[in-house]
Amino acid sequence: MSKSRKGDKSPEWKSGTWLAATGPEHDIAICTRVRLARNLQGFPFAPRLDDAPSRQLYDFITGRLRQSGLPEPLQLLDLESIDELERSVLVERHLISRELAGSKRPSGVAVDADESVAVMINEEDHLRIQVFASGLQTEAAWRRAERLDDALLQRLPVAWSEEFGFLTSCPTNTGTGMRLSVMLHLPGLVWSEDIDKATNTAQKIHLAVRGLYGEGSRALGDFYQVSNQVTLGRDEQQIQADVLLAVGRIVQWEREVRTALLRGSARVRTLDRVQRALGTIERAQILTSEEALGCLSALRFGREEGLAEGFDIPAVNRALLLSQPGHLQRHTRELLRPEERDQRRAQLLREVLGLSR
Amino acid sequence: MARLRDTAMNYCDACQKAIATIVVMDLTEGAVTGSQHVCQACAEQLGVGAPKAPKFSPEILEDLLGGLKQPRKAVAHTHLDSCPGCGLSVVDFRSKGRLGCPRCYDAFRAELMPLLQRIHEAQLHTGRLPAVIGTPPAPIDGRSLTDVRRRLEDAVRGERYEEAARLRDELRKLERGAAT
Repeated sequence: MSKSRKGDKSPEWKSGTWLAATGPEHDIAICTRVRLARNLQGFPFAPRLDDAPSRQLYDFITGRLRQSGLPEPLQLLDLESIDELERSVLVERHLISRELAGSKRPSGVAVDADESVAVMINEEDHLRIQVFASGLQTEAAWRRAERLDDALLQRLPVAWSEEFGFLTSCPTNTGTGMRLSVMLHLPGLVWSEDIDKATNTAQKIHLAVRGLYGEGSRALGDFYQVSNQVTLGRDEQQIQADVLLAVGRIVQWEREVRTALLRGSARVRTLDRVQRALGTIERAQILTSEEALGCLSALRFGREEGLAEGFDIPAVNRALLLSQPGHLQRHTRELLRPEERDQRRAQLLREVLGLSR
Repeated sequence: MARLRDTAMNYCDACQKAIATIVVMDLTEGAVTGSQHVCQACAEQLGVGAPKAPKFSPEILEDLLGGLKQPRKAVAHTHLDSCPGCGLSVVDFRSKGRLGCPRCYDAFRAELMPLLQRIHEAQLHTGRLPAVIGTPPAPIDGRSLTDVRRRLEDAVRGERYEEAARLRDELRKLERGAAT
């Protein structure tokens, strides 16, 4: 494993796995993520660690990660060596959590070249292994996470007990320490106002449904994340089955609603919505993050259903990412005031989608 | 100390300014040995105020922790007040809902079990564990025997017989190991 040192340029990100728009059900299920929470014996959990042991833990873990033979070649990014803007870029790419970005402890993330593996160090748990796969691929993501976990368990004295499984800082993660999430694009269910009913079906089997963008329960751009809540008393296969069951139903429901939105008198309203979004993207001079997400959602839907053309889905996914504040400012290499960002965003979206006039 | 809501109107013993809404009672072996009427602000300073909203999964845990926020009687005296591993106090665990280190699972067992039941509707791990060969050993020390005995008693009391049978076997194995 290589280490990026202070003063080194942060990596130029090429493409996150989820951007690729490949994998089963990728028109609706953008990406699957498995996260495993692990802690080491002999250290308090990260939130209770003082400075000195926190450094000791960080050095110990990164030393072990550098040993050869890991199933994934990982590059370590020391978060102390990168600024706030670069940290926010990592958050927007889902490689680190907002909490880790704001952490004052020695912390870092070990990432593979195509951003499909990211191991957070010294987050709420000492280690948080994350594996991403494009589309709906719970089994593939789990197998990869399990293999990496096996390798780490051989290198590190992980805390566990037969009774409670993997011991975590928060009892909501105790047991498997596993959070399986699927990111979904559900414009049909939002437009037809069926979204609450759809999310209720997932909540009934103890899954959480959250907006992917925006604060609180508001889901900007019709992007949602479905994940398991229960980590104790259900094994990894059962957790996958639970998430697949709910996501499968929601995906099917979304498809049915889309068909209805494209039929009869509903079709012209749907077409109007998509074309207005296209018009906005083509002409707008100022675009807030919220409006941009709304337009991009409509364009993604329109492109998938043959109502709009001139751009492709990976470009829309890329636009979703690049129009967020961290990426936007990194792109221009300067800190921008919010109104400057909104101008820059309007321009950037046309460039990324190839809709420049 | 136990925290109880008071109905009478008193001024705070600590700041003498605000109305006291909380009575802090010192309990020694279940008997009241002293009390103080304090306001919310002073109670928080004393570390006995109403717990702040938990930071994690607020949408579900506000509700889940409800049970733990209720004033407790002498229950708190039947188990450890703080974790021998990291020093986390039971008050902190109750208010934040976070464990401080692996040993907290043992120290705060009485608090933890109902919490796990509420969150997961389960108290026993069924997923995978590290393969025994080639991995660093699990933490086993002198407390294991007592710990397993207590878990066994818990399981029997809770009528979780499958778990109890497993613990009985584990206890036998440990006892054999201790004897050799």
